[in-house]
Amino acid sequence: MSLLKLQNVSKVYQQGQIQVQALKDIQLEVQEGEFLALVGPSGSGKTTLLNIIGGLDDSSTGSVILNNIELTCLKESELSDFRLFQLGFIFQAYNLVPVLSALENVELVTLLQGRPAKECRERAEHYLNLVGLKAMKDRRPSALSGGQQQRVAVARALAAEPRLVLADEPTANLDSENATALLDIMHRLSHEEKTTFIFSTHDQRVMERAERIVSLRDGQIYQDQVKGE
Amino acid sequence: MNAHSHLPFVMLVRLAWRNLWRYPRRTIITLSSIALGFGLAVFSIGLGDGSHNSMIRNAIKLGNGHITIQLEGYQQAPANHKFLAQGILAQMQLEQLLPQDVIAPRVSLQVLASTAANSLGTAMISVQGEHDPLVGILIPMLQQGQWLEEEDERGVWIGSGMARRLKLKLGGKLVIMAGTQSGDTQAQLARVRGIYHSGVDEVDNFLVVSHLNLGQKFLVTEGGVDSAEPMTSLAIYLTEPSQLIEKQQHIQSVFSGQAIEVLTWQQVMPELVQFIAIDDAGNYVFLLLILVMVTFGIINTVLMSVLERTREFGLLRALGLSRKQLMLLVMVESLLLSVVSLGAGWLVGGGAHWWFSHHGIDMASLMEGGNAMMGTFMDSTIYTELSADRVWQLSAIVFATTLASGLYPAYKAARVPPVEALRT
Repeated sequence: MSLLKLQNVSKVYQQGQIQVQALKDIQLEVQEGEFLALVGPSGSGKTTLLNIIGGLDDSSTGSVILNNIELTCLKESELSDFRLFQLGFIFQAYNLVPVLSALENVELVTLLQGRPAKECRERAEHYLNLVGLKAMKDRRPSALSGGQQQRVAVARALAAEPRLVLADEPTANLDSENATALLDIMHRLSHEEKTTFIFSTHDQRVMERAERIVSLRDGQIYQDQVKGE
Repeated sequence: MNAHSHLPFVMLVRLAWRNLWRYPRRTIITLSSIALGFGLAVFSIGLGDGSHNSMIRNAIKLGNGHITIQLEGYQQAPANHKFLAQGILAQMQLEQLLPQDVIAPRVSLQVLASTAANSLGTAMISVQGEHDPLVGILIPMLQQGQWLEEEDERGVWIGSGMARRLKLKLGGKLVIMAGTQSGDTQAQLARVRGIYHSGVDEVDNFLVVSHLNLGQKFLVTEGGVDSAEPMTSLAIYLTEPSQLIEKQQHIQSVFSGQAIEVLTWQQVMPELVQFIAIDDAGNYVFLLLILVMVTFGIINTVLMSVLERTREFGLLRALGLSRKQLMLLVMVESLLLSVVSLGAGWLVGGGAHWWFSHHGIDMASLMEGGNAMMGTFMDSTIYTELSADRVWQLSAIVFATTLASGLYPAYKAARVPPVEALRT
């Protein structure tokens, strides 16, 4: 079943007098439960594409339909609600709210969703347990390593029960051991929770675990490879 | 989509509070400066109110009480023939109406005080006895002599300035003269029984105080009947000054239909009210400076904190926090800063006020140039005073200012596009 459909998506940035074509005529369809990697060199448009899918940026042309919702038709406030209820985000760095503990960071999104406080607490503890951080639930981000912070971000993304998790180079700042551990967790949870993952990367280890690899170059998809096909 | 983002109050306050203390040193410096400024403003306004109230209390004692009852038209154009012919009746009515308050019958006249040495245009106030609050305030100022004996109908008190000008000493004689409505002159002989020194030139140079009987002799010549106890006014001293307007209206209703004016001290002494209003304005200029300091303190702290957190705001927006919620978060940060600052400010200013409202400040050394103004005087020891209205007023002004100061940073935070914020 198709979860995400991008049709003729283009993005042009105006930099002073110069127009920069970040994305050109992107056509992409993602099925529910996929573990998809967007790969390509720096400047190929990976982050721009993730931002457009996540409703953080708008496309210049084309349409983005996620879970039967046309993003380009949504108002600013509707986009906020859309992100809250449909998406989970994991960023490269600065992923957590520094003044909240790991547990509170995970709770935050579920609380915003209006779930009862008790349920939020239980869900947060459950997902922190899944990423192996239950013992560190009361620590602030500054007291966690980069890898641990990213695992909290994964727990936060999944605790909200999103349809789609977008991860922008989640392992870029991690050492090999932490990167592998994080990927294992994301991969396992994507299957256990039946959550769709799209992540951008140029990390070979991430690509190895992806079930589908979409390669971008100069803002265009030049290869779309499903492993095992 | 029907589901909307909902930021629980507890999480909102928790986030705002922790954000506020992210850089404790900066917050403490801002908080201290606001609290100290506000505390100073509270203390300064308490001192101002204390001085003003001291002046008002003395003016009321030296003058005609909290409420004055007199013949209609007397206030606009005082004249010796404008008096309450049935004074005793009015006094009895008032005593029945206001059993808790002091009712002081008075005869106030414009007279000429003469001795062989000199003549002086003065005011003469005749009072019923030493229970009259005017006598009460003059007794401690008495330099020579004592209060008049009950049967001493000719005895008077004069001020030190008048004694000097008329070259009068204790026991000296003076003639009190007054013009009548018909154009004649009437005169009464008086003898000095006391000389006081208040420090207020208008009082020391131009006020003669006597028994009511002496003043009433002049009113009898003007057509008054001795047995009806004519008097020019009845001064009412309230035990509860806060009931001023209520009691004025009550008295007015009792005397309605009669040619009688019921005036508050503000109506009798408009110059004093004006002086206090101008002085208050000066205090408010000081408060305004404090508010400017408060405003910039808060804008500085909150705006710095907002600019530093651009990326974090991008993250929160990406997670689903709406613009309004983000704005609310920053506003709550300002609100908390203002609440804590106000609390600390009240501790500083309120503490100083509490101490000086009990122990007073000896202003004698600052009053070498005189403590008299506007026909009244300020006590040499000032006790700070703050009414509940003032407390609310000051808090509300500073609170509103601090909230308003948070608006710009909050607006700026809410306008950050998440994608740009995440790029920073």
